[in-house]
Amino acid sequence: MYGLIDVNAMYVSCERAFNPRLNGVPVVAVGNNDHCVIARSNEAKILGIKMGQPLFQIRELIDEHNVQICSSNFELIGDMSARMMSVLAQFADDVEPYSIDEAFIQVNTHFDGIYPSYQGLGYAIRDTIGQWLRLPVCVGFGITKTLAKVANKRAKAKPELGGVCVITNGESAEEALREFPVKDLWGIGSQYARLLKKNGIETAWQLQRIEDLDWVRDRMTVNGLRMVYELRGFPCRLLEVNAPPKKTICTAVSFGKLIPDLKNITDALTTYLARCCEKLRKQESLARHVTVFLHTNPNRITPGNGLPAKQYSASRSVRLPHYTNHLPDFLRYAIPVVESLFQFGYNYQKVGVILNDIIPDTIHQGNLFAEFPTAKSLHIGKTIDRINRKHGRDKVRLASQLQSPDWSMVRGSLSRQYTTDWNQLLKAK
Amino acid sequence: MIDTIKPANIWHIDPAERVPIPFYQSPVSAGFGNPAENYLRARLSLDQLCIEHPDASYFVEVDGDSMIADDIRPGSILVVDASHTVETGKIIVCWVNGECYAKRFVRFERMIALFPSNPDYLPIYVHLDIDQFSVLGVVIRIVSKPPKWDSEQTKSAINHVRTYRRERNVREL
Repeated sequence: MYGLIDVNAMYVSCERAFNPRLNGVPVVAVGNNDHCVIARSNEAKILGIKMGQPLFQIRELIDEHNVQICSSNFELIGDMSARMMSVLAQFADDVEPYSIDEAFIQVNTHFDGIYPSYQGLGYAIRDTIGQWLRLPVCVGFGITKTLAKVANKRAKAKPELGGVCVITNGESAEEALREFPVKDLWGIGSQYARLLKKNGIETAWQLQRIEDLDWVRDRMTVNGLRMVYELRGFPCRLLEVNAPPKKTICTAVSFGKLIPDLKNITDALTTYLARCCEKLRKQESLARHVTVFLHTNPNRITPGNGLPAKQYSASRSVRLPHYTNHLPDFLRYAIPVVESLFQFGYNYQKVGVILNDIIPDTIHQGNLFAEFPTAKSLHIGKTIDRINRKHGRDKVRLASQLQSPDWSMVRGSLSRQYTTDWNQLLKAK
Repeated sequence: MIDTIKPANIWHIDPAERVPIPFYQSPVSAGFGNPAENYLRARLSLDQLCIEHPDASYFVEVDGDSMIADDIRPGSILVVDASHTVETGKIIVCWVNGECYAKRFVRFERMIALFPSNPDYLPIYVHLDIDQFSVLGVVIRIVSKPPKWDSEQTKSAINHVRTYRRERNVREL
């Protein structure tokens, strides 16, 4: 049996966990330099605030209903997420953190634990996370991961279930799937949803009952076929306890404000590359293909005349002569690349870097014609990571990094980092 | 079930739980072994002493002297465990109408009172039907610096030593 545990409105709930003043009032969390809504409380949903909506579009709503705004407190959310995953490990041996606010667990069908039923286990998980972390979660159980997802959404949509829903084979599955729109299924994007609708399939039940499996395979690839099997109760997606190493690593964050000069752009690029190298080392890999891209804000309008502002975007890739995860190795190539991309006279919104061609660091081969990263330079990276984990991000960095914080993220309504910074603890009278 | 978590990946789940383990390098050679080798232990850590449930524990800084008689001083850090049950008589950290308090919890039927330990302060009465009340957890440890003496206390201590010495005729050093 698979379970899916997912926090309701994670970003908002984490804020509420440390500030009960936010309970019962509309709250939105904003991300992307405070531009867009990335999480909404129920009260905010009722006001009609949409996911991803730019803040300027809802200014009036905010003022009228006194909607509270929180910048995304990644430090707090990351810590609460780690706590949740760790709590889940008490209930199940196998936990797959699926995203920052959801995790799959696998429990034996014959679990002889202290919980009389899956429902009981679900309530225990919900209560423990509620008391320990003050986060509201919904729990869904199903024979496959896809069914667990369906059960979880059902638990969310039907408050009378008390936040826990179990779908076993037979009647409970039929009822749940009959009510479940196929477009909300895990893995059905808007394209597949359109295709299925055109062929008269609107509920998950219809998809489960489909007879022509060859049609599914032809039109929706093997993943669509897997989905049908999963709906029928045959597990095709297993728990990924050890996440497979990423094949691509990317860091691209919008600047806090528009940036016109190469110096700041290079600075940001260096920092993003440093993040990528960190990620590479964390999964014990090396990479050799770097793509750098740079662009202006496509939605920007020239102040004054109201015409679309002049736009520029460009990208370029280079293949290094050797695999590495050492920042200076990448920089030697990435900086000339960004210099070649840069055009004077534009206000840039974003620079980004993508690493490709990633291999595990155990199998890299030397190159006859190029110096490859020495054991020493690989060791330096690991040491830097260790120091930075202990003393805070970017405490050890290149001298060319973070010289001016002009480009860095804007988080105007940031709450305290209650759990990760001694100087920002909760204060009690 | 496919696999369990590799020990090397445990920090994925909680980076705070790593324990520093001393590394004693002893060359492997023929001859007499290091007799201390069998007695290696992980170093003691304050976390081990103060924290029972790392996932349910929070640190809270004290602002004000309302709990001074319970050794909770301004600036003290409280270790708060959310997994403990709140019972009458325990010191808890909670929110009343959005304000955060560290007080001794007393409950009588639908009525809650939060008692300070400094006589200059009054108890806070919470009506569960009217007030917004939520609990962070129970205070399980108090971390404070030792209180400082003011100049008056230092002076009187020195005077005490002086008198003591005079009375017993201790010779000057």
